[in-house]
Amino acid sequence: MANEVKLPRLGQGMESGTIVKWLKAEGDQVEKGEPLYELDTDKVTQEVEAEASGVLLKITVAEGEADVGTTIAVIGEQGEDVSAIEGEAAQPVAEAEQEEGSPGPARELERERGREATASEQITEIREPAQGNGAGARIKASPLARRIARERGIELGSLKGTGPEGRVVAEDVERAAAGAPTQPAAPAPAAAPPGEFERVPLTSVRRTIARRLTEAWQAPAFQIAMSADMTRAQELHDRLVERVKEGEAKPTVTDILTKACAAALMRHRAVNALWAEDAIELHPNANVGIAVAIEAGLVVPVIHQAERLSIAELAAARADIVTRARDNKLRQEDLDGGTFTISNLGMFGVEQFVAVLNPPQAAILAVGAIDPKAVPTETGFESRPLMTLTLTCDHRSLDGATAADFLRTVKAFLEEPGLML
Amino acid sequence: MAKVEQRRGVSDETLREFFREMLLIRRFEEKVEERFRAGELPGFLHVAIGQEAVAVGVCRALADGDVIASTHRAHGHTLAKGTHPNELMAELYGKLEGCSHGYGGSMHLYDVERGNLGANAVVGGGLPAIVGAALAFKLRGEPRVAVAFFGDGATNIGTFHESLNLAQLWQVPAVFVCEDNHWAESTPESQHSPIRDLSKRAEAFGMKSIKVDGQDVEEVNKVAARALKHARDGKGPVFLLCETERLVGHYIGDPQVYRDKDELHRLEETADPLELLREKLGLSDTEYESLDREVQDLVDASVEFAKNGTDPKPEDALKNVYA
Amino acid sequence: MPELSYREAVRDALSRAMRQDEDVFIMGEDIAEMGGSMGVTQGMLDEFGPDRVRNTPISEMAIVGSGIGAAMQGMRPVVEVMYEDFLTISMEQIVNQAAKHRYMSGGQLKVPLTIRTQGGAGWSPGAQHAQQVVFASTPGDVRGLLWSAIYDDNPVIFFEHRTLYGLKEELAEEIEPIPIGQARVHRQGEDVTVVATGRLVHESLAAAEEAEQQGVSVEVVDPRTLQPLDEDTIVDSVKKTNRCVIAHEAVTRMGFGAEVAAVVQHQAFDWLDAPVERVGAKFTPLPFAPVMEEYVVPHAKDVLAAIQKTVQRDGAS
Repeated sequence: MANEVKLPRLGQGMESGTIVKWLKAEGDQVEKGEPLYELDTDKVTQEVEAEASGVLLKITVAEGEADVGTTIAVIGEQGEDVSAIEGEAAQPVAEAEQEEGSPGPARELERERGREATASEQITEIREPAQGNGAGARIKASPLARRIARERGIELGSLKGTGPEGRVVAEDVERAAAGAPTQPAAPAPAAAPPGEFERVPLTSVRRTIARRLTEAWQAPAFQIAMSADMTRAQELHDRLVERVKEGEAKPTVTDILTKACAAALMRHRAVNALWAEDAIELHPNANVGIAVAIEAGLVVPVIHQAERLSIAELAAARADIVTRARDNKLRQEDLDGGTFTISNLGMFGVEQFVAVLNPPQAAILAVGAIDPKAVPTETGFESRPLMTLTLTCDHRSLDGATAADFLRTVKAFLEEPGLML
Repeated sequence: MAKVEQRRGVSDETLREFFREMLLIRRFEEKVEERFRAGELPGFLHVAIGQEAVAVGVCRALADGDVIASTHRAHGHTLAKGTHPNELMAELYGKLEGCSHGYGGSMHLYDVERGNLGANAVVGGGLPAIVGAALAFKLRGEPRVAVAFFGDGATNIGTFHESLNLAQLWQVPAVFVCEDNHWAESTPESQHSPIRDLSKRAEAFGMKSIKVDGQDVEEVNKVAARALKHARDGKGPVFLLCETERLVGHYIGDPQVYRDKDELHRLEETADPLELLREKLGLSDTEYESLDREVQDLVDASVEFAKNGTDPKPEDALKNVYA
Repeated sequence: MPELSYREAVRDALSRAMRQDEDVFIMGEDIAEMGGSMGVTQGMLDEFGPDRVRNTPISEMAIVGSGIGAAMQGMRPVVEVMYEDFLTISMEQIVNQAAKHRYMSGGQLKVPLTIRTQGGAGWSPGAQHAQQVVFASTPGDVRGLLWSAIYDDNPVIFFEHRTLYGLKEELAEEIEPIPIGQARVHRQGEDVTVVATGRLVHESLAAAEEAEQQGVSVEVVDPRTLQPLDEDTIVDSVKKTNRCVIAHEAVTRMGFGAEVAAVVQHQAFDWLDAPVERVGAKFTPLPFAPVMEEYVVPHAKDVLAAIQKTVQRDGAS
């Protein structure tokens, strides 16, 4: 049986060696332990002994570098056929570097530029609204301040920092966030003068509503309308109601609608926007306001970060704010930060209506009752529960196409709630 | 016949066992060299070829309950102390079935059940712990002895001196076995020690010191037995200086450029403990070959066992940090 | 309730352990007749005898190493290294041997060794390479923690602070073991968290009083164990106050505080309203002349300055 002589590993980490000289020739008799060839490793040139006795039948690697484990010769009996054992040709020293591995410097540079481009794009998207800061200037703000600013949708660049070296600290952001105008004090109602009509003095709520909606009227608004087949939404509603436990808020179709709008707002960020006179503010969270009719008039408490809440959580939040609205227990933070509003007059039997914008929000969705309507199918007509969706948009912030895309998504989500996942 | 009468204490039968033991170590170490060269064994390896008689002679004199600590050149001690070749080979291959379960490797071989408190990569690193173990035996009144193996190079390091001093001061049951193979890696003894007779180092601490020819396993065994008895009887620690030879390089692959090749060849001819014992016993070729095949089979089987062993999971690295 | 000094508290833990447990013994330089250079082991030779209260030669490697050996045989030795500076001599035995036997043997060995030492403390290589490093700052803490260290099956390096040995505290009759790896909040606050060890715990409490007068509410947390570190307590505190100061006696650079700062920065990044401040000794060896030593070593005023830095404002609100 022929013995293959393989290049041995003579030290930890040795991967290859260079055969310098064979001390025996093909055909020579070799004894185990006799020096067979000279090997050059990184450290030293040394003689390597034969590990078997016999005739050196074949030298497959005469000279040059070989990897550890390569067959470099064969020792066996005279006359044995060893043509099958081919050695690998010795590789010329200093082979070309593999193609893989580190990319060339040119490629690295490209990648760097690509990274920068992406980064600056992102910065541009966020920075554009706040031009007061100077293009590309680094804002000094503590990590905590940044987080609060992010959460409240406040532009860091618009703030003056009171920390060391002008650093914006949490307090600075909190102050800015709390800068909501205080409610004007309710004037004492004047006694009604004698005459035919009753003069109702304005309450502060009425005054606010009047002021704000007049403002809204100044916005160039347009409306687009669609109908949504609420079959699946109603099925989902029924199933959710089945699963409600004692003490939990019962989900309504409005909750499903809120969820659909929040999800759609995340996909159509241009709609989750506020008009800021010289800029449009795109907000990261869908803070959806629900129009609630109360004795004093209309109020729009906000469910913050609605996109993060499940329908069950939305139901709980909605139930809470509606209760507090009716009990007159809403807080300022309940009213702040809204980015979108839903107004539902369906329970009053309204089929379709156009809501007035809730400035500075870009859009408001008016929703009517779910009525069975005849819908054409392949085989004739079918009765389907349809609900009208009318989106009023601020044309300064939004264009028709964008608004239509958004509304189409809302409709799709209502018609197939699974798409929201 | 005359040979038998001259020897006392160690029977021929026992010597045969010693021979088999030493041959097992020899073949094991040769196999380790072979497998390392084939690229199968990770890390650094130091084989004990030429020093088998010290390992077997001392370890075969130990009683149950005695403990040892070894050096970086630990395979011989480990096998002689009773670890099965399978577990040792598996450890070298880094398998869970290894005696240290893949965590230690060649220089951190532990077999606590069999009294092996560990090989040590740090020269002299294991000596203080042997003093501590002996102290524990003394405090508890146990008739056990703690034995440290180390080389001539280790007699220079601080732990050697502190350990011998403390052991002698507290009269603990320890035996310090110095395997003087006259080399500290590539540095000959003449370049690392200003004195020739290393037993003087132990005498400096007032410790009993015995010298022995480390290539004569029978002598080693007899002398070790005396040293162990001395310690066990509460008479204090003993320094056992074994003159031996390292017939290979410091590590596998060491070309020994620093060593006179003729001198090495001479030692291989004249100072191989296996050859010496074989001659002393008058083993026939048949007997020799039979024993050789037996141990070779064991060694080959250990490689199979190791190769078929279980690799630890990467996350196993996080275990065993704390008790 | 008896009043014990820090020193007496250490002795109390050692003595009670040795009374109930034959396997516990102590060794170190001058700990027998002299009772230790800091007087910690006074009287113990009389009670326990020279076998279990052992004087050693000046051989830190062998002291620690033989402790390792006895521990591996199942005893619970408590060895004393007279000054923390000498730990470096025994580093090899601590780092390469004690800390690694269990691991390298694949779980076959335990080393239930306790190494006591004293000094200014805050020894970073220890926390990196040794297994557990404890540093208590009050008599109650030192007693409860030493007890836990003795009975822990892993090696523990136990620091005591020289200047605290005389500190007194009323302690319970029974020893209340304190778990290794548990921090302690000494003082609650709202504005800044000060993480302090050893003597600096007391300096920080003084600084906190002062800061209170200035309208800054300071929370003081003592980790008590350097390794493993009670990250949760520290991070929860910083999340509450949004500001962090770390104070220790050791040199600031690459000190234990650097590790805490990294942990805080990593886990409470979005809660930080100011950079994490570190208070420690200046980057010099300890000089001899008192006026120079005073300058190098940190004090309450340095902690106060750091606190003030975290709440500092440049612009008026």
